[in-house]
Amino acid sequence: MSRHNIVLNVNGKQTSLEVESDRSLLDVIREDLELTGSKRGCDNGDCGACTVLVNGKPVNSCLVLAVQADGQDVSTIEGVALGDELHPIQEAFIEHGAVQCGFCTPAMIMNAKALLEEIPQPTNEEIKQAILGTLCRCTGYIQIVDAIHSCGRSKK
Amino acid sequence: MKKFRYVGVGVNRVDAIGKVTGETKYAADLKLSGMCYGKILLSTYPRARVLRIDTRSAESLAGVRKIITAKDITGNNRYGYYIPHRPALVGEGEETRYIGDAIALIVADTYATACEALKLIKVDYEILIPLTSPKEAMDMEAYLVHKEEEGNVASRHELIHGDVKAGFEASDVVIEQTYVTSRQEQAFLESEAGVAFVDESGILHIYSCLQDPYDVVEDIYLALGIPKSKIHVKATPSGGAFGGKLNTTIQVQLAAMAYIARVPVQLVLDREESFIFHPKRHPDEIWIKIGASSDGKIHALEAEVISDAGPYAVRTNEVLGLTVSALVGPYSLPNVHLTGKAIYTNNLDSSAFRGFGAPQAAVAREGIIEKLARVLEMNSLVLRQKNFLKSGEETLSHVLGDSPVSLDLLKDRIIEKMGPIPESKPDSGRRIGRAFGFDMPVFDVSAIPLLCKSGVGIAVELFSDASVAIYAGGTELGQGSATIMAQIAAEELGLKMNKVFVEMGDTWTCPRAGRTSASRLTYVLGNALLLATEKIRDRLIQRAAEMLEIHKDDLLLVDGEIQAKGSSSKGLSIRKVAEACSNEGVKLREEGWFKYPEDRYMYGHTFMASAADVEVDLITGEIKILKLVNVHDSGKVINPVLAKGQLYGGSIQALGYALTEDLIVQDCKLLTPSFAEYLIPTAMDIPEEFLADFVETPYPTGPYGAKGLAEHSLNTTTPAILNAICNAVGIDICTIPIKPEYILENLKT
Repeated sequence: MSRHNIVLNVNGKQTSLEVESDRSLLDVIREDLELTGSKRGCDNGDCGACTVLVNGKPVNSCLVLAVQADGQDVSTIEGVALGDELHPIQEAFIEHGAVQCGFCTPAMIMNAKALLEEIPQPTNEEIKQAILGTLCRCTGYIQIVDAIHSCGRSKK
Repeated sequence: MKKFRYVGVGVNRVDAIGKVTGETKYAADLKLSGMCYGKILLSTYPRARVLRIDTRSAESLAGVRKIITAKDITGNNRYGYYIPHRPALVGEGEETRYIGDAIALIVADTYATACEALKLIKVDYEILIPLTSPKEAMDMEAYLVHKEEEGNVASRHELIHGDVKAGFEASDVVIEQTYVTSRQEQAFLESEAGVAFVDESGILHIYSCLQDPYDVVEDIYLALGIPKSKIHVKATPSGGAFGGKLNTTIQVQLAAMAYIARVPVQLVLDREESFIFHPKRHPDEIWIKIGASSDGKIHALEAEVISDAGPYAVRTNEVLGLTVSALVGPYSLPNVHLTGKAIYTNNLDSSAFRGFGAPQAAVAREGIIEKLARVLEMNSLVLRQKNFLKSGEETLSHVLGDSPVSLDLLKDRIIEKMGPIPESKPDSGRRIGRAFGFDMPVFDVSAIPLLCKSGVGIAVELFSDASVAIYAGGTELGQGSATIMAQIAAEELGLKMNKVFVEMGDTWTCPRAGRTSASRLTYVLGNALLLATEKIRDRLIQRAAEMLEIHKDDLLLVDGEIQAKGSSSKGLSIRKVAEACSNEGVKLREEGWFKYPEDRYMYGHTFMASAADVEVDLITGEIKILKLVNVHDSGKVINPVLAKGQLYGGSIQALGYALTEDLIVQDCKLLTPSFAEYLIPTAMDIPEEFLADFVETPYPTGPYGAKGLAEHSLNTTTPAILNAICNAVGIDICTIPIKPEYILENLKT
């Protein structure tokens, strides 16, 4: 397996890594950078639990090779809160009961973050479209949709 | 009425911050120093005799620490709830019983090496013909999956009341139908995972996602022969479970890896392995016959359930028992004869899944009642109401409950929430239908004197800084039990929520609490917690009485203070009193032990109603859920935000059960091994209008009047959707999930 030197800008921090060509961005985030907030639910692009933002767009990090992310901006759940202060999306998830087991929560929040950057006041339909790629087995999605919707409203 | 500060309030989850920041560590996120990685070699064939296992090439691969086969196991190599007959590893000369049986365990320096080593293990099998269905397995000539289980019968149940023959004779209308339900996968997003290590004193530690840490200890003891006192199991936060982690999953194999290889090991199943490994909802075939007079009074119900138990006993006996008794539902039926048989096969295993056998029964029962209404040309809601169980009436089932009956209240509330039925526009090519479903699911009150189901403990310690720790042996699966415990403790001890720490699912720190299932934690742990906090509160007040020289009956514990009644100026902070107790050796750690006063096979009942408006496209067969409402009577609701979350989540699992979820197993092999083939609902599948509500009839023995809650929401949404489809387009639905293709085919004929 060939090895490559790459640079990832993860949560605003430049990180140089040597990676094997077959390793996914998720492998590198979880194992090399020890950012375990991004979850491995299927390793197959089906569940979306590994969703991170690459240059602001949500991707299944299990389907992206680490080398493909060379030189890109990568945002993970660990970079969402400002120190001890939660991001409004995180606050909204807590208040609306959008969190149960929590396994999809980081991915859902990353989806929400990308959506709200692009559409500050999304409709429920737009919210559902935005989180469509991330499965949640606990909540029935409604409280997640409500939480994201409330962030749009509070931005008015 | 007493005003509560935390009970009945939708306070934030105590574990929410870690979950929204990604800091919460699930089992696969743990990393121990020197940790190796495990992999399980599963059987290639559902039924085969293992002739020879050649591990030599795998062992010689660089980075492999240990390859373990049955020969290395020092215990009796068998484990399992109810009947410990599942092999930890199938050895040479033994037969496999399904594709989830383990043949060998690999421990290697990296996960990649473990995967490579797996391919190098050569197993010679003598392939044998498997039993692919209960029908085959019931044949007199069929081989026995377990030698001692005659006819491959894993379990049998019968419920007889009155005279069903006379009931049918007295009926004006008698109809029957056979319903076939699918094998539903729990589809928790976090697959089975854990880490294990043996410490320098020889203690085996297991950190893993699970629902019953005490049963895991039992199974490791049985299979590996390690004394129970040397096993420490700690539940990690679980990324969903829904019954799929109720029986011991990977923990026995994981324990064997760490114990035999003597290195810390992490074992995480990939999605396909997970789908294969843990037991599913039983696929059932239910024949049901109902008789009623023309005014709608039901006189008789007869049914026969044939359930696919899969290869091992696990929870089959209890699940089937609940399926049979749940066929009665929330109705008063004078004559019933219900039988059920669960049959061993070589298919994937079957056991617990949210609803525990009741959802299958609900599909059949609510389905046949809807059909009866059509035959009688009667409104099905009126028909149901006419036959509702009445207050004070005894339920027929052996799982007798003592909950106040509130079916009429539920019916009124759900009608109000549903509002007027939308009309199908004549030229739209779409038809709209509505249906209601009712049930009275059970929750465990800890009265069953067998298999560690009776008696539940909890420990509470108040520290000198007036912070409090609760050690609760249930597990946090996402349902929110840690938060419920914190709310109750804060309420009872007059402290703020942020002063309460809840530790869950640790067999070293928590008193025995049994399993996390059957919607039992709020009730059983809540009651145990009240017993413990009462002792601590009394002791604090007693000590404060001495310090203040006021009689204890004249003192109140409120808002972090112990105050004289009627004079808030005269008091002491709890911290001061706790400090005094601590300095003087007054005990502020207490255990609450809750045991239901009676030892009999008994659960409590909740009552529930679901209703759905469904639109069916006549051209494409596409089904759209316009509105879905669930109303439950779970007694006092301790946290309405979390409680609604349970109703929403459960009913969307039920929607999947009705419309898409079918784990297809053909010739005992899994054809749908991923989320690309096994479709669970996405955000796009939720109803346009989606409501959850509660009627709160206090349950006399529940903490603050609370009952169980989390498991139930699955039961009635499925039949409500199916019957609504049926009412929209007039076709019988007897097999789930129902697909657009089926609707189109049946519309044509």
